Amino acid sequence: MSLLKHGRLVGEDAFQPVADDAALPASGAVLVTYARWQVEREQLTGRNAPLGILLPNNLDVLDFGAEAERFDLIVLQFPKFSDGRAYSQARLLRERFGYRGELRATGHVLQDQLWHMQRSGFDAFEIPRADAVEAFAKASRTFSHVYQPTGDGRVSVLKQRLAAHNNKNGRSQEAAE
Amino acid sequence: MYQYDEIDQTMVEERVAQFRDQVARRLTGEISEDEFKPLRLQNGLYLQLHAYMLRIAIPYGTLSSRQLRGLAQIGCTYDRGWGHFTTRQNLQYNWIKLEDAPAALADLAKVQMHAIQTSGNCIRNTTTDQFAGAAHDEIEDPRVWCEIIRQWSTFHPEFSFLPRKFKIAVTGSPNDRAAVRVHDIGLRMHKNDAGEIGFEVIVGGGLGRTPFIGKTIRDFLPKQDLLSYLEAILRVYNQFGRRDNLFKARIKILVHEIGIETMREKVEAEFAASKHGALKLPQEAIDQIAVQFAPPAFETLSGISAEYANAFRTDFEFGLWARRNTFKHKQPGYSIVTISLKKEGAPPGDASAEQMNAVADIADRYSFGEIRVTHEQNLVLPHVKHSDLPAVFKALKAWDLATPNVGLASDIIACPGLDYCALANARSIPIAQQIALRFKNWERAHDIGELKIKISGCINACGHHHVGHIGILGVDKAGEEFYQITLGGSADDQAALGDLIGPSLNTHDAVDAIDTLVETYLRLRKSSDERFLDTYRRIGIAPFKEAVYVSA
Amino acid sequence: MAKAPKLNSQPQIVTANDLRSGDTVYLTVTGGWTRRIAEAAVVANVEAGAALLAEAEAQAKQNIVVAPYLIPVDASVTPPKPIQYREVLRAEGPSTETRPAA
Repeated sequence: MSLLKHGRLVGEDAFQPVADDAALPASGAVLVTYARWQVEREQLTGRNAPLGILLPNNLDVLDFGAEAERFDLIVLQFPKFSDGRAYSQARLLRERFGYRGELRATGHVLQDQLWHMQRSGFDAFEIPRADAVEAFAKASRTFSHVYQPTGDGRVSVLKQRLAAHNNKNGRSQEAAE
Repeated sequence: MYQYDEIDQTMVEERVAQFRDQVARRLTGEISEDEFKPLRLQNGLYLQLHAYMLRIAIPYGTLSSRQLRGLAQIGCTYDRGWGHFTTRQNLQYNWIKLEDAPAALADLAKVQMHAIQTSGNCIRNTTTDQFAGAAHDEIEDPRVWCEIIRQWSTFHPEFSFLPRKFKIAVTGSPNDRAAVRVHDIGLRMHKNDAGEIGFEVIVGGGLGRTPFIGKTIRDFLPKQDLLSYLEAILRVYNQFGRRDNLFKARIKILVHEIGIETMREKVEAEFAASKHGALKLPQEAIDQIAVQFAPPAFETLSGISAEYANAFRTDFEFGLWARRNTFKHKQPGYSIVTISLKKEGAPPGDASAEQMNAVADIADRYSFGEIRVTHEQNLVLPHVKHSDLPAVFKALKAWDLATPNVGLASDIIACPGLDYCALANARSIPIAQQIALRFKNWERAHDIGELKIKISGCINACGHHHVGHIGILGVDKAGEEFYQITLGGSADDQAALGDLIGPSLNTHDAVDAIDTLVETYLRLRKSSDERFLDTYRRIGIAPFKEAVYVSA
Repeated sequence: MAKAPKLNSQPQIVTANDLRSGDTVYLTVTGGWTRRIAEAAVVANVEAGAALLAEAEAQAKQNIVVAPYLIPVDASVTPPKPIQYREVLRAEGPSTETRPAA
């Protein structure tokens, strides 16, 4: 298993996963489940250490989004690569709720899905293979353009064409003057 | 018609490169079949009974002559010299090798085509009226919107792993030729009270195992909001559509289970939050696409062409064909010609490479180089001058492409069925061939008039049997092929699902039953103007049932 | 797709599709694959069938074939004839001459 963040290998995960029935460590960054967060909000926010949360992929993010900014890490799940619910969760967290922390994909994360995940707002990936850095780099180069605007800041084809059109018109107007 | 710019071209070429790499990784075993399957499916490559099948997208059914020649060439190079036009306005090759698929796709990219998202649980090729941009009854050319949807849906990051496949259809005419009420999303262009043109949005229609007529989720959507609204629907579906049961995963089941009101609330809430976002379409962007669909350089014509009138009078065969296979054009002096791929006894929708090349030549000479594919598995020459119709008829006839049966009993829709398809329970092509031969007599066929027979080889309903005036569904009964017959379905603006007439029949009896049903209609119709469907709606199922099961 | 009948001690063979070409293929007695059903290895009991399928599945893992499975055949005729109509079509090809006249 390799953990990648912004395309680079992270040697050790800063967040320690804590099972629902295990005691919280006295200090250090932890990753807890949504269920635990529901019942231990105060203890968790009072720890004064970075906090990560693992969201179920059938959670309606609209019910959670307002709390997103309290977290330094949100982990979304792909139980199977073909289960694409977390793409919507990711975009909503980034684009609707303005979440800026680490957004991590876990589960059945394959090379051929990395392109979609990046575009949807994921910046960290748990990839079950040794050559994850190469796979990620390759996936990132898949397409030179994007047809859809998402929160990843890339300019959609439609906007590119509009800009080119307006530039051309602007220039020809200048030339006419 | 729409031409790729450098960006579109780069995107399809990068897709070919991506798929080439994926195939290579599959062949070396780096990825398993389970991991590879969705990747090949998103490039239209199925593994069927005898070989791989490659499904090519023909975006909204529009082809240039150059593209059609490209399809012919690919059919010759990588397949057995023909192709099969489908009910989704696409083309399928039945004998492709996995090793050759990347090269076939590279050839396709050379003519600005692809097989992207022709399968898989993603947004599929958008379909529309085959007469778009030519029909006299059109409010606006729907292809502009289909192209805008094509671009938005291509490699969509959020919606490439939906619960199930997703099909969108658009009609720009009040006479729906795109079957918008039986799609996951149907868009019907219309004018509101203020005189603005926008969309009625219909959601949750579909055929298959559990057929539903779609429900209107919004009466009027302004054009600039189209993509925001589509994204809102897809986002609700992606999150809440069922993923626990393949047969309940389409959006129609979600709409049915939560109800259209709840669905509307969720979609409208999502839309309200996003409608002023990046997907809102600036008028200039719409115009940039629309200009590519500007009408060709029509001549200004008036009066009736002498050549046409003369041929109509003197050439009986031509008259028959012109009455049946042409449709009124919006430009005076022009007609829309439907090329029947349904010669009686031939497999519905098949065309040889030679025929494709011939149609391309005829289109260049007489139809501004444009061809359309219909969901009824025929081809269309959208812009033919009246005075050229006799010459077009003659040219088509030389290639066996002038069968005068459009909309008649032998113009049958049939899926590939068990002869090719890994999902099928029974064959479709042979029964279609046998039925069509029963209606070969032109006098009888024209006397019967409009009759839509649609055949599917399994419950997935690729042959749209639910909406056939006569629908035929192949089933497997202890290893033997049987056929269920439904009556009264319709895919037009008064969409309806057919009613099951009774127990399934074996092949022989099923073909006979179709004859019996037609004879019953001829006996009971009020006049020769009353179509089969109208008679059925008037008198109901009982007389037909009795004719098939009691008198037999 | 029609449900495959439950197999017991009846004549059976293993079929699959070739990964590279997609062709219908059958497992032979030497553990190779053939496009001719006449050359398929026929066994006639549950254990032998399972062993044949295990061999085929191992080859699927080696990326030679895709999705192997057992089918019942009538072995009293030569070549053996599949019981299900679907498999007859796979063995013999489409039942209809589909090349359009040109």
